[in-house]
Formats: sequence, C-alpha cells, structure tokens
Amino acid sequence: MIDAASHDRIFRILSDLSAVPPQEIKVDDRLREDLGLDSVSSMELVSMLSEEFGIDIELEEAVQITTVSALLALADRRIAHA
Amino acid sequence: MDSRVLVLGANGYLGLHVVDALRAEGVEPRCGRRRRSNVLGLLSRRAERVLADLDEPDTLGAAMAGVHTVVHVAGHYPRHSLDPVGSEALARRQAHAVVAAAEAAGVRRLVYVSSTATVAPRPDGGAATEADRWPAAPPHGLYHRLKWAMEEIFAAAHDMEVRVALPSGCIGPGDLRVGTSALVVALGRGMDPPHNDGVVSIVDPRDVAVGVARMAVRADAPARVILSGSSRRLHALLTDAAPHLGVAPPSPPMSDAAFLELARRSEADARESGVRAGLSVEIAELAVHGVPLDASLAERSLGLRFRPFGESLADFVRWATPLGFFTPQPEPSP
Repeated sequence: MIDAASHDRIFRILSDLSAVPPQEIKVDDRLREDLGLDSVSSMELVSMLSEEFGIDIELEEAVQITTVSALLALADRRIAHA
Repeated sequence: MDSRVLVLGANGYLGLHVVDALRAEGVEPRCGRRRRSNVLGLLSRRAERVLADLDEPDTLGAAMAGVHTVVHVAGHYPRHSLDPVGSEALARRQAHAVVAAAEAAGVRRLVYVSSTATVAPRPDGGAATEADRWPAAPPHGLYHRLKWAMEEIFAAAHDMEVRVALPSGCIGPGDLRVGTSALVVALGRGMDPPHNDGVVSIVDPRDVAVGVARMAVRADAPARVILSGSSRRLHALLTDAAPHLGVAPPSPPMSDAAFLELARRSEADARESGVRAGLSVEIAELAVHGVPLDASLAERSLGLRFRPFGESLADFVRWATPLGFFTPQPEPSP
C-alpha cells in the first residue's frame, strides 16, 4: 500500500487538474464523469503522477486509467516497486 | 552540441518524432514542454526536459539560454473556429513571445514548423512548390489565416536565420489527440464519415521529423521546404484505407459546400454540449482548399524519402489499436 503522504500527493494532483477540493474527491470517482477530466487531462494526470514519483508508465497503461481507484492501484503497484 | 538545440513542443505528436530524428542526426536536444502537459513520451526517452511555456515568456528565455537553434513545433493549432478573435490573438501573442525570447537569447537559427495551408494553388493547376506562397492571408478559414500570419511574424525575426517547414496532413504513430487522422479513425470505427472529394496530401510524421531535424542541423538546408507525400483525392484515399482497417468502403463524397456546412454545424453543436466537434471546420477547410503539392525539394536537398500512405496507415493502426482507437482485427487464416 502507498503511504498516507503519497496518497495526499496524488489527491493534490487530482485536485490541481480537476479543480475539485482534495477532501471532496472520492476513491470511486470516475475521472471523466465525476471529476470532469477529458482524455487529454487524464493523460496529463498520469504524466504528472509519473513525474512526481519518478516512475515509468507506458502509454497503453495510461489510457486504461479512468477512475481514481485505478490511478491509486497503479501508484500502489509502481511506487511500491520503484 | 548537446544543449544547443531546443525543441518547443517536444512532448507533442510531431515533437516526439523530432526528438527521435534529432538524436538520429547525432544531436541530443533540450526538450521544451508546457507546465501542464503529458510528458510520458519524454520520460520514456530519458530526454532532458525544460519548462518552455509559450504563455509564460520568462520560461522561454531561460530555456533558450545558450541555444543555437530553436525548433518550434508548438505553434498554436486551432482545434475549432468558435472563437476566431481570441484564437488569433493567442497565436500572435505566442509567436511574438518566441521571437522576442529567441532574439534576446541570441539564437542563431529558428526552424518553424508551419503547414502546407500557406501554400497557394498554381494558376495552371499543377503541383505547387515552396515558391507558391499566398501573397496575403489565404481567403479561407481561421486555420489558414493563422498559419500564414504566424509565418509572417517569424519571417520578421531579427539576427537569426529562419527556416519554415511545411508539413501536410500527418498520419502515423503518435497522434494521441487524433488530429488529421480523424477521418481515418472514424472510418476504422465503422462510422462511415461524411467527406468531400478535395485534394489532400498526407505525410508520415516520422518523415516530417527527419526533414525538420535536417533543417535544424544542416548548414545548407533551404529556408522553406514542403514535407509531403503524394497528393490525391480524399474519397480515393479513404476507399483505399478501408480494407486496411477491415471496414466497408465509405459512402460517396458530398459537395464542398455541404461538407463545410456540416463542420460548422458540428462545431456549433459541440459548443452547446461542451464536447469536441466530431468534424472540425479546420479539417473540412483543409480538405476543401487542398492543392496538389510538389515535395521534390525535400527529396533533393534533405535526402528524404516519403513513405507510401499504406505503410504509414499500417503503422498507425498498429500503434493505435492497443490504445483502443480500433477494434483488434483477427489474424488472417493461413
């Protein structure tokens, strides 16, 4: 599991891109329907995650990320093994 | 040499190919990116990234420090024509910011990636060359006007050599935002896209990138170069593409006027719904006002060989299918 600090950093990135306050973002939110991120913003989100944590993410993986939970799961897999 | 070439828009569709092409020429470029952008491609290439945001002029000056050549692949690209005044103001402001920063930093060469939209038709109907530039802004839509106006701004830059690359419609790997490949993607998704039968010129973005890279590094490269594969009619192109995409050929083409009207309605609907237009006026204008092109200067002076459309299309499909653009096709029976 990612630690609380990493969790907070991810929610800050989500908030920066969506303009939704971090405390209002829920784990089961969908990036497009609930947070208003289009496909371009969603790619930027994954890119920011990649830069923030210094992890490699392939394009094919990035396009699969459509929910906050999927983003957290990706971070969990990659940050834990970075 | 390593940090003496800066690529503005290095993380974009063409920009990433330009980074690869510069490396093939032995140059490790400095890669300019916007503050908020998708840089996965640059990260995977382990490229040097530097903040160079056209809307933050201070970042341009810092990014250009010590740079000999700037390759500008980040010119404003109007995705719709709903705000022509705002779009033109933005394009002009960004172009002036690049010129001012380059002049202040002592940049010696600027390669600006423009568009064949600034190439005028020849009176005799023959293939147009680099010499056939519109003497005034093309009497078409926003996209044509903006591209022409930005060339004017860069041409007026002081104390540097300005070279202009003129790519036609790019179809090939990397078109994540689906720009000029929109009609091909729609066809491949079984949507039988409405289209006219204008002259279109297609080029592989990897070939464009090689041309741009050589314009950046070769002392004797021409100042203005068309980068384009062959020119042909849009309906024939889509008909030829259909079997590669595993779909039926498209319905017959519509008139230019009907095609443009459809694009205007599509943009108006998009404004109401807040989603991207299915058919942009920019794409329609390019297909309506396209002219046959002669890209032999690029072949002679830069040693380019433009890939055939079928090869670019096959590589695009191979790249785009895992990303969900197309449904995977079953392997052919032995």
